Amino acid sequence: MAEHEAEKILQIEDLHTYYGRSHIIQGLSMDVNRLEAVSILGRNGVGKTTTLRSILGLTPPRKGKIRINGEDTTRWPPHKVVRKGIGYVPAERHIFPGISVEENLKLAAKPSGEEEAWSMEKVYSHFPVLKTRNRQDGSTLSGGEQQMLAIGRALMGNPVIMLLDEPSQGLAPLLVYEVIQPILLFCLQSGLTLLLVEQNHRMALKVASRHYLMGIKGKVAQTATSDQLMADQDIIKQHLAV
Amino acid sequence: MSFTAIAVDIILNSLVLGGVLLIVAIGLNIIYGLSRVMNLAHGSLYALGAYAGFTLVASGLNYFAALLVAPLLIAVVGLIIERVIIVPVRKRSIVYTLILTYGLMFFLDGLIKYFWGNEPRFIELPQFMRQTLPIAGTHYPVFRLVTLLTTAVAMIGLMLFLGKTKLGIILRAASSIPEMVSCMGINMTFVHAGAFALGCVLAGIAGVISGPLYTIDPIMGHEMLISSFVVIVIGGLGSLRGAVLAAFLIGLVQTLAEFFVTDLAMVIVYMMMALILAFMPRGLLGEGRFE
Ligand SMILES: Nc1ncnc2c1ncn2[C@@H]1O[C@H](COP(=O)(O)OP(=O)(O)OP(=O)(O)O)[C@@H](O)[C@H]1O
Ligand SMILES: [Mg+2]
Repeated sequence: MAEHEAEKILQIEDLHTYYGRSHIIQGLSMDVNRLEAVSILGRNGVGKTTTLRSILGLTPPRKGKIRINGEDTTRWPPHKVVRKGIGYVPAERHIFPGISVEENLKLAAKPSGEEEAWSMEKVYSHFPVLKTRNRQDGSTLSGGEQQMLAIGRALMGNPVIMLLDEPSQGLAPLLVYEVIQPILLFCLQSGLTLLLVEQNHRMALKVASRHYLMGIKGKVAQTATSDQLMADQDIIKQHLAV
Repeated sequence: MSFTAIAVDIILNSLVLGGVLLIVAIGLNIIYGLSRVMNLAHGSLYALGAYAGFTLVASGLNYFAALLVAPLLIAVVGLIIERVIIVPVRKRSIVYTLILTYGLMFFLDGLIKYFWGNEPRFIELPQFMRQTLPIAGTHYPVFRLVTLLTTAVAMIGLMLFLGKTKLGIILRAASSIPEMVSCMGINMTFVHAGAFALGCVLAGIAGVISGPLYTIDPIMGHEMLISSFVVIVIGGLGSLRGAVLAAFLIGLVQTLAEFFVTDLAMVIVYMMMALILAFMPRGLLGEGRFE
């Protein structure tokens, strides 16, 4: 059993999360295996972000269990959860204002002895535009550049799993398919596990192999593989505004 | 006295006053900017810094050594205060910390009266600081110049710390998006404590350098607290640049007012604050962050 459990990086069981009195996530269960990319697809306001916030401990769940690498992290404070090896790319990107691109990256650096480890140079080699703007205030970058910085910053922590909240939101399709999608695929190939929240199912289908289709109140209406979703477009129509 | 001598006197005095105001106000501002705690005991910590300086010098320590040691003592006091009365109510509304730090102010003032009594104290200065220096026809006290220099060193040190060191960058990042800082594996509990300690170091420095400027008495912190409120309100809550601007503006206005209409000096300062807020309700530079 131990070996089977260890394969699951993230396990969520019967999660219930509230904002004040409003019961947002009502009994969510899901899991993510090591080296897998999984997506959560759902319309606006169903509770995708809240799910990520629950995992991170930013909005601790009132009920249910969250396990990371087999360890119960429910209601841990965020910094402790993150140190289990989580990289977070929030929907708002949260690039620190008044702080340069380089400092944004430095702040997140958690050096790792491994050869393939992420470093400033490695981030710059994937996002050359960040290098040319390394002294610029991060919050004055364009939306696309900020997204690259947010992803680069998450990678600087050398995580084992990345949580990405709608990384394609507000970006030109060209940028999504030529920059964001390739870096995610690269991460996946180099051994990272991904949990991707998206409304852009085209990208989610290319990156992730399994999908949780989330309906209102954070209830998983259906799970599907990319092949199933591609074969049956109605599922997508049903769960996403297309 | 010639006109230039008076002008030089007034300019230097306003810089000295503005500098002290700035150090106290920035300490208050850093604590507020990071923890959303308006520390009403900040003036009392400043007074405690002055008394610590007094006692250290009286027990034989060199004035400049006291200038280093006293702020660290105040930081330790600050860390205890933060742990005991701020942390338990961190998640509650700002009213809790307002009331608790208000009570703390009286507690610290009582403590000061208990240990040092009510009579005013004076810090024994080294010989050279008691001289005057002829500048442009005026004889300017050396200790005031030392105060000015200390302010400058403290401000430059603070700017380098916030601008260049990893800890400083974390503080700046946490003042704008605390949640993201914790999502990078940084424990915000330490960030809050660090910010409080830093604010207290600044209050302590201001206390020691004000020793020779004003008399040290148990209520010296009250006026300073109000004045530093004026500084951060005029400058814009949480804005460091605004505080710099406001502190020297008030330094100048108050010094001028004291020169011409001594008794009404503070009234004029408050009128200026009212006027500025009437036209710029968010202060000169608006609510801001650390830059
Ligand atoms: N801080 C908050 N306080 C109260 N309610 C909130 C808060 N944040 C989100 N909600 C509510 O919780 C529900 C789920 O929000 P959430 O942000 O998780 O949705 P989402 O699936 O990420 O949507 P989107 O695709 O628009 O980002 C929404 O109805 C929202 O109004
Ligand atoms: Mg969302």
